[in-house]
Amino acid sequence: METFEDFLKRILSILFWLLLLSPVIIFPVFFLLIPLLGISVPTTNEFLTALIDPIKGIQLANKYGVGPSSTFFKIAAFPGFTFAALIATITILYERKLIAKVQLRVGPLYAGRFEGVLQPIADLFKLLGKEIVVPEKADKFFFWSAPILSIGLGAALLAVLPLSPNIYIARSDVSLLIPFAIIGFSPLIVLIAAWASSNKFAFIGGLRALHQLVAYEIPMLISVLGVVILSGSLDLISIVESQQQVWFIFPQLLGAIIFYITILSELERVPFDIPEAETELVSGWLTEYTGMHFGLLQLGVYIKFYALSLLFTLLFLGGWYGPAFLPPLAWLLIKLFFVITIVILPRAVMPRLRIDQLIRLGWVWLIVLSFINLFIAVIEVSLGVI
Amino acid sequence: MVFLVISLVTLIAAILSLESRELVYGAVALALSFLGVAAIFILLDALYLAMFQILVYIGSISVLIIFVIMLVRREKWSTIKSGNERIVGIVTALTFFLVIGYVSYNSGLSNIITPNSSIPDFYDIGIQMINDYWLILEVTGLVLAVSVIGALTMAKIERKN
Repeated sequence: METFEDFLKRILSILFWLLLLSPVIIFPVFFLLIPLLGISVPTTNEFLTALIDPIKGIQLANKYGVGPSSTFFKIAAFPGFTFAALIATITILYERKLIAKVQLRVGPLYAGRFEGVLQPIADLFKLLGKEIVVPEKADKFFFWSAPILSIGLGAALLAVLPLSPNIYIARSDVSLLIPFAIIGFSPLIVLIAAWASSNKFAFIGGLRALHQLVAYEIPMLISVLGVVILSGSLDLISIVESQQQVWFIFPQLLGAIIFYITILSELERVPFDIPEAETELVSGWLTEYTGMHFGLLQLGVYIKFYALSLLFTLLFLGGWYGPAFLPPLAWLLIKLFFVITIVILPRAVMPRLRIDQLIRLGWVWLIVLSFINLFIAVIEVSLGVI
Repeated sequence: MVFLVISLVTLIAAILSLESRELVYGAVALALSFLGVAAIFILLDALYLAMFQILVYIGSISVLIIFVIMLVRREKWSTIKSGNERIVGIVTALTFFLVIGYVSYNSGLSNIITPNSSIPDFYDIGIQMINDYWLILEVTGLVLAVSVIGALTMAKIERKN
């Protein structure tokens, strides 16, 4: 049993040894390796100035090709990973508070002065401090690779999703297909995690996730095809631009409802949280994951949540269009949080479906309805409504 | 250079998928080699084709293969036969691909001149499919429908027994 004082002593001793050994690492790198390779590095003065003065910092970043307009910055920070992780963190707190309010509880309250706003950060430190337990009979390689793959999948989803006419990482002719192709990897990751855990609850959870995938993936793709027919393009930016007059949720209401249901199913949220049903399967395919492994898997799921809500906003709610008193990005974020709210809300009130009910829903109802939606789109285009 | 790395990864993953003793490793290696093929499509500027390669081959086929592997007992299948049969197999495959490669290298394929216009996108694929190849498209659809109905009938018969 380690007391808090022991913990502090351990951290301080690690710091002491790091400081003591740092010249051994720093001197050869700075005075032998860097002059030999001919890389130019910022001097200490430049670096310290950049830490204090943001404008100097941006100049220094521009000099080394990682400034705000570079591709690296786009991927790592603003429309890309860090922004998505920030939204995901906000979503976690928002979800807990919203469900608590719906169920007449208070939710997280103590971390932070106001209404527990620092709860995600407290959770992060808790997860960082926990021990990572790998089961003895687990397949070590796959067990370690699943959290990394999960976070990689979440980050890859963001590559083509635009936030406003100018803010995007990459633009492509077929940018609508790319997120769907990347989502196709997620059952593979779930199966790898479930199999590598060598735990029966995890394994049953993985098999259930696969059944769920087979039931909803086809209606998900077909429900989006109606939007493609109406806008005549697979490029997300031109799909949004063709909604300047009418948002596609009005002519494509059925498609929007089907896409909403499949989002719930893809994210394994109530009422479709069959793969990780807490009351039956401990925690489904996540059962054996602890500490930061679990944190990375959850972060991957919530980044996927952000990406799919953003996709719904872009496809059906007119993306960044709105009255001109707010900038496009603000409209997009307002609509995004509206979608996140309606995705969260069923968790507060709905019971869980059984797996056979879900499969019946997917194969019997959703596929047929999505084909009907496709015909509605064709009729609307040929009558010239849109 | 990029092409070399991608094709090396694809080939190694393909060999691994045949040779690995753990069947799940083999299935994941198969998915990796499908991904390599998709990357080669991207190098050829066929992004549309690459996305469908990922959707169909990784999203459904390799997932189904892993599904089947997990349901089937391991001991039955993991005996890899060694000795003569493997050598015969390798020699046959090598001869086959050498002959095919020789024939296609010496045919007119290597000096076809493509029209220097822009890269065909998915609009062109759709127009071609509807105008020139509509018969093949409909026959394919018919075959798929027949196979789905057949599978359903077989499932019902098995449930009755």
